[in-house]
Amino acid sequence: MKQTVFRYFALYLSFLSHNLKNEMIYRANFLIDICIDIFFMGVNVIFFKILYGNIETVGGWNFHQTLILVGSVGIVREMAYLTFRKGFLELGEYVRTGNFDVMLTSPVATSAHLAFRHVSLTESFGEGVMGIILVGYGFAHLDAASWIGIPFYILMLLNSLVIYYGFCLLVNSLVFWLVKSQELNTVVYYFMNTARFPREIYHGLGKGLFTFIIPSSLIATTPAAILVGRAETDIIFLSIGVAISFLTIGLLFWNWSIHFYSSASS
Amino acid sequence: MRSCMPAIDVKNLTKTFKIHQKETGLKGSLKALFWRETIFKEAVKSASFSILEGELVGFLGPNGAGKTTLLKMLSGILYPTSGQVSVLGYTPWDRNRDYQRQFAIVMGQKNQLWWDLPPSESFLLNRDIYGINPNVFQRTIDEMVDLLDLKELLNIPVRQLSLGQRMKCELVASLLHQPRVLFLDEPTIGLDVISQEKIRSFIQEYNRLKKTTVLLTSHYMQDVEQLCKRVLVINHGGIVYDGALSALSERYVDHKVIKIRFSSAQDANPPSTLESVVEWDASHAVLKVQKKEVARITHQLLGQYAIDDLSVEEVEIEEVIRRIFEEQPPQT
Repeated sequence: MKQTVFRYFALYLSFLSHNLKNEMIYRANFLIDICIDIFFMGVNVIFFKILYGNIETVGGWNFHQTLILVGSVGIVREMAYLTFRKGFLELGEYVRTGNFDVMLTSPVATSAHLAFRHVSLTESFGEGVMGIILVGYGFAHLDAASWIGIPFYILMLLNSLVIYYGFCLLVNSLVFWLVKSQELNTVVYYFMNTARFPREIYHGLGKGLFTFIIPSSLIATTPAAILVGRAETDIIFLSIGVAISFLTIGLLFWNWSIHFYSSASS
Repeated sequence: MRSCMPAIDVKNLTKTFKIHQKETGLKGSLKALFWRETIFKEAVKSASFSILEGELVGFLGPNGAGKTTLLKMLSGILYPTSGQVSVLGYTPWDRNRDYQRQFAIVMGQKNQLWWDLPPSESFLLNRDIYGINPNVFQRTIDEMVDLLDLKELLNIPVRQLSLGQRMKCELVASLLHQPRVLFLDEPTIGLDVISQEKIRSFIQEYNRLKKTTVLLTSHYMQDVEQLCKRVLVINHGGIVYDGALSALSERYVDHKVIKIRFSSAQDANPPSTLESVVEWDASHAVLKVQKKEVARITHQLLGQYAIDDLSVEEVEIEEVIRRIFEEQPPQT
C-alpha cells in the first residue's frame, strides 16, 4: 500500500515535469490563460460586492466569509488542473482517436494514467493565485480568525478534490458510449460553478440533490466553513463520507465502463 | 523447457462489434436520431492458434480482416465477446500489471511519443511508468540507439522527425522495459524502402538477441518474407492458413511475373509462341510465367528480342492473399 502510494506520487511528479516542459514551449498561451482567469475571478467578486451592497448575509455568510468561499472554489479548481482535470477534458479525443489504448496497456491504473497524462500548472493558474488572494483577504478581515483552522482547511480542500475527482470519473465514464466528452464536461463545469454558493441556500430536496447526486454544495462550503470557524462536525463527516463514496463508486463504474471501449481501427 | 511452452495460446476467440448504420445525408442523420439500424460485425470469428516462446510469426490479411482487433484483444485493449486467451499465463483483459510489464504493442499508425518534446523525454517517462532500473534503462537505450543508429535524433522534438525516424523511436520507447512478447501492427507502414529495411533488420536482430516472441502484421510481403518463417492468414475474422511461409507461396502461387522493356519498337501483337502474356505493346511487355518455366522463357525472350531491361518479380502479397480468399469464400 505504502509502496503503491509512493510509486504513484513519483509517477505524478514525472508526468508533471514532462507537462511543464511541454507547456513552456507555448509561453503566449500561458499569459493569456492567466489574464482570462483573473478577469473571471474579478467578475465573481464584483457580483458578490453588488449583492452584499443590498443585503447583509447570504445563507448566513457575510461578504468576507463569501470571499473565502469563492476563493476556495478557485483553489480547488487549480488543484484539480494540477492533478486530473485536463485529462478528463481530453478524454473524448483520446477515445475517438484510439490514443486511449496506451492507457490500457501501460502498467498504471487507467484512472490515474488519464488523470496524470495532462497535469497543467498554467491552465487555471490565475484562478488559483486569485483564489489564494481572496481567501487571504477574507481571512484577514474575519472577526474571529483562527490560525488553527488552516491545516484543517487544507485537509478539507484535499477532501473536496477527491469529491471532484470521483464526480468526474462517474460522469466521464459515459464517454465509452457517447465517444464525445464535451457535453459531459459541460456538466462538470456547471457542477463546479454551483460550488461557489454557500450550502445553506439549499433546502429540502435541493439540499439532498446538491449533496448526494451532484455534491457541489460541499466542495467549497466545507473547507471555507472551517476557516471562518462555523463548521459543525456533522458537515465534516458528511463531506468525508461523500468523498469516499464518490471515489469508490466512481472507480467501480469507470473500471466497468472500460469494457465498452471499442478503440479506433487503424 | 521453457521454450516449448506456448507463449500465446488462443482458443475460439470471437469479437463482435455493434455498428450503427446511418443513411447518407442530413435526412439520414435526422432519422438516425430516432431510429438506428444496428448491425453486428464479427471482426474475429473463433480464432484458435498458439505461438511458442521466441517465435516470430506474421499475420497476413487484407484491411479489415481482423488482424488489429486480434492484437488489441491480446493486449487487453479490447474485451472479447467469447473465447479464451493466455499470454505468458495471463488473461490479457484482466490487465494484470505483471502482464503489462512483460509485453508491448506498437501500432504503426499511432503515436505514443510526446509530440513537442524530444524522444529522450518520452523514454524517461516510460522509464518511470514501467519502473525500469536507471542502469538497465541506460544500457537498453545505448544498445538500441546503436542498433537503430539514432544518436543524433534523441534531442530533436518528435514533430520535426521524419516518419521513419519516428517509428524507430516508437520502437525504442516500447522496448525499454524489455518485453517478452511484442505485438507489431504495421510497423513499416508508409515508410520508404530504406527505413523499412532498417526496421525489418532491427526486428530480426532483436528477436534473435532477446528471444522475444513477436507477432507482426504487415501489408508488405517483404516484411513477412524476411522476418517470419510462420504465417497466419486471416480473412473475414477467421484464420484460413497457419503454417510455413514457403509452403504458402508454393501452395497458392505457382508463377512469377516477367517485365520487359524492348530497346526497339516491336510488333504490337504478342507472338503466338509465347503463352501467358498479360500485356504486350511496341515498347514493353508483362508475362505471367509458371515458376519452373521462368528460366526457359527468360532465355527464349533474351534470344528473340533486343531487350533493354528485364525483371522477374514475385507475385505481390495482395495477389497471394486474393488467391487464398478465392479458394475460401467467406461463410456468411
